[in-house]
Amino acid sequence: MIAGHDALEKIPGALAQLHADRPLIITDKGVSGAGLVDTVVDAIKDGVDIGAMADDVPQDSSLTFVNRLADVYRDNNCDSIIAVGGGSVMDTAKGVNIVVSENADDLMKFSGVGALKRALKPLVVIPTTSGTGSEVTLAAVIKDHERNLKMAFASYFLLPDIAILDSRMTLTLPPHLTASTAMDAMAHAVEAYTGLGKNPMSDANAIAAISLISSNLLNVIKNPSDREGRLALANGATLAGAAFSNSLVGVVHDLGHATGSVCGVPHGVCMSILLPYGMEYNMHKVAHITGELLLPMVGAEVYAGTPKHLRAEGAIAYIRKMNREIHDATDGRHARFFEEVKDRDGKRMVPRQKLEDIAGAALDDGSIFYNPEECDYEDFLMIMRAAWEGVPLDRSLIKKG
Amino acid sequence: MFFPDNYEFYCPVKINSGNRALEHLPVELDALNATKPLVITDKKIAKKGLIKKIEGAFKDSGITMAIFDGVPPVPDLKLVRRLMNNYLDTGCDSIIAAGGGAVVNTAKALDIVISGKPEDLKEVAGEDRIKNPLGPFIFVPTAYGTGFETSRFATLGGLSFSSHFLMPDLVVIDPRMVTAEKANAVVSTAMVALAHSAQAYTCPAKNPMTDTYAYAAMQFVGENLVNVIRYGDKKGRLALANAATMAGIAFSNSPRGIIHELGWAAGDISGLSHGICMGILLPYVLECHIDREGYHLSDMLLPIAGAEIYAGTAENLKARKAINFIYDMQHNIHDITRGKIPLTLKDAGISKDALQGIASATVGDGRTGFNIDDCMVILEHAWEGRPIISS
Repeated sequence: MIAGHDALEKIPGALAQLHADRPLIITDKGVSGAGLVDTVVDAIKDGVDIGAMADDVPQDSSLTFVNRLADVYRDNNCDSIIAVGGGSVMDTAKGVNIVVSENADDLMKFSGVGALKRALKPLVVIPTTSGTGSEVTLAAVIKDHERNLKMAFASYFLLPDIAILDSRMTLTLPPHLTASTAMDAMAHAVEAYTGLGKNPMSDANAIAAISLISSNLLNVIKNPSDREGRLALANGATLAGAAFSNSLVGVVHDLGHATGSVCGVPHGVCMSILLPYGMEYNMHKVAHITGELLLPMVGAEVYAGTPKHLRAEGAIAYIRKMNREIHDATDGRHARFFEEVKDRDGKRMVPRQKLEDIAGAALDDGSIFYNPEECDYEDFLMIMRAAWEGVPLDRSLIKKG
Repeated sequence: MFFPDNYEFYCPVKINSGNRALEHLPVELDALNATKPLVITDKKIAKKGLIKKIEGAFKDSGITMAIFDGVPPVPDLKLVRRLMNNYLDTGCDSIIAAGGGAVVNTAKALDIVISGKPEDLKEVAGEDRIKNPLGPFIFVPTAYGTGFETSRFATLGGLSFSSHFLMPDLVVIDPRMVTAEKANAVVSTAMVALAHSAQAYTCPAKNPMTDTYAYAAMQFVGENLVNVIRYGDKKGRLALANAATMAGIAFSNSPRGIIHELGWAAGDISGLSHGICMGILLPYVLECHIDREGYHLSDMLLPIAGAEIYAGTAENLKARKAINFIYDMQHNIHDITRGKIPLTLKDAGISKDALQGIASATVGDGRTGFNIDDCMVILEHAWEGRPIISS
């Protein structure tokens, strides 16, 4: 991993170490429209020979598109891939890498866990949001629209060779998106730390991530040009990605996925709204470890000054306060609860009558397996109703298993 | 918080820790595209029955393995050549090193030659001279280690290697392997971890990634070392093994630092374990850094002593408090072991005349930024057991 204010300039040297000098650059229209790809190209063009560039990755990674890019890679004699963007760009790049490295005519053969058996072509990833953490995960999802299949891949060999965190890449991200992507990372870290899959390594990454996000997010939202803060958030997201990919997530992600698929609400928005509810829902099981999170959130002075039995409540209150403060600092564009979530035209995205559908969809999501408390339809619905209105959970109603 | 303008961090290490972690070995080997491992260890470890535990993990997997349990305390190039022939003749395709220090150095050197040829060892000695990934390499720690195991470093037959390709692909920490050891081995291993992580956490070149690993390593040592020596609890031993692994990762991404060089030179010259020397020297070295520009001594009080003590200590006293915490740890360990773990270089049997030699070996090519006089101040105080800054 290479981080800094001029990390991009180090790409040619890093590629040379991997014996590559002719990358295919993969990105999407949003990223290239914001001028970010130009910044990348300017930084590397003297050191490498750019083989080709594709800037039209669709929102939803698709098999047809992956195959098309693999042809571009071959036709232009590329020897490596640079992915610039968010989750779908990363997934697409990983898919292309499998096809060109394995000469695969059917990607399906390589889906599942551990089906890849050897190193792929060099892959450099440059995240442009500070949230998903997909730059450090070993998974990818590609959709086959023709066969209506979702192919999932997991392998060591899908881990990118190099992740570049450069403050220039997130500098222009608008405040409300900065907020939701950072809260997405916060949710990764909190769920990694409180979930059943927790371990010393994921704990270490989660604590560091929470500390970086907590001490920088509001500053960056108020001063978007704060380069140090931007870089700190990018690091926080990477650490959070490392935390959850080593421990998995829980009810917050479960309901977040469901809300995303039923109502199309962006993932980060779901995460920031649902996070305090997930913490409340699990508190009777994991109050002690939830309380430990107060330390990286508020620092040692306040933590030590808070009596032990109040620390878990303190951590939950801190997340709620953060959501409120971000809401105020973004002129209300950061939603505090689902009733407030609006699309571009100002239309409400989560109608109240959809909550049942969301609770139903949540039952089909695997994230709940590692959640400390079990969750059934009624529980999901109860959480969604509270998160819709923006009122705390009535913890006496949780079915304690 | 301190945040550098630019930094790089490299960690390809997967960690699998916990009860029955060994049982994951067949699946993990498969994921690394390997089917026949050579297990490398020493007689002491084999005698404890630890290799049987690894064999047990493979029993239903259909995987056969080769075993070499004869790594001597000081392995040489001849051994590596012999192992290479073994490895190739038996059709191995991966290495599992069970143990610490010499065992892992041998495994790393072997990994270099099986990916090329024996002559390569001399060729790639030095800094970043290995140009391509090596074969699959798994490390299974036991209770004793030198701190190099998870790191990018290896030494063998007078050659030193430094390359991130030498970091293990996988570390499997299983409590059955981390058996109760003599206090000497435990303290030595834990003190290297503490010294390396304290160095990584407080030095000017620190970054958020090294901080993450160093913080956790210091916390684990601070919370567990004295208890493990006193009660020998299993959970604590596992925490210390995790600390050693994390410290190795932080160490691989930080400048080596004066504590490492001093401890190493003291160990070489006295014949004592490097870790015991580093443990004795650590608080004195830290004292010398309190007022150095760019160091972050105060920060280490939080991981090592916990939030209550950290918050209850005035800002200007935090560094002092952290160092005192380490002095207290030393005294506790010294008392519990009835003096078996020495408090001073003098108790450790190093003569005062030897200090000068240790200082000049440490200063070496001058990379540490310390001169002979600086080193002598540390060594003389550590020899007598007299803090440099009177508290």
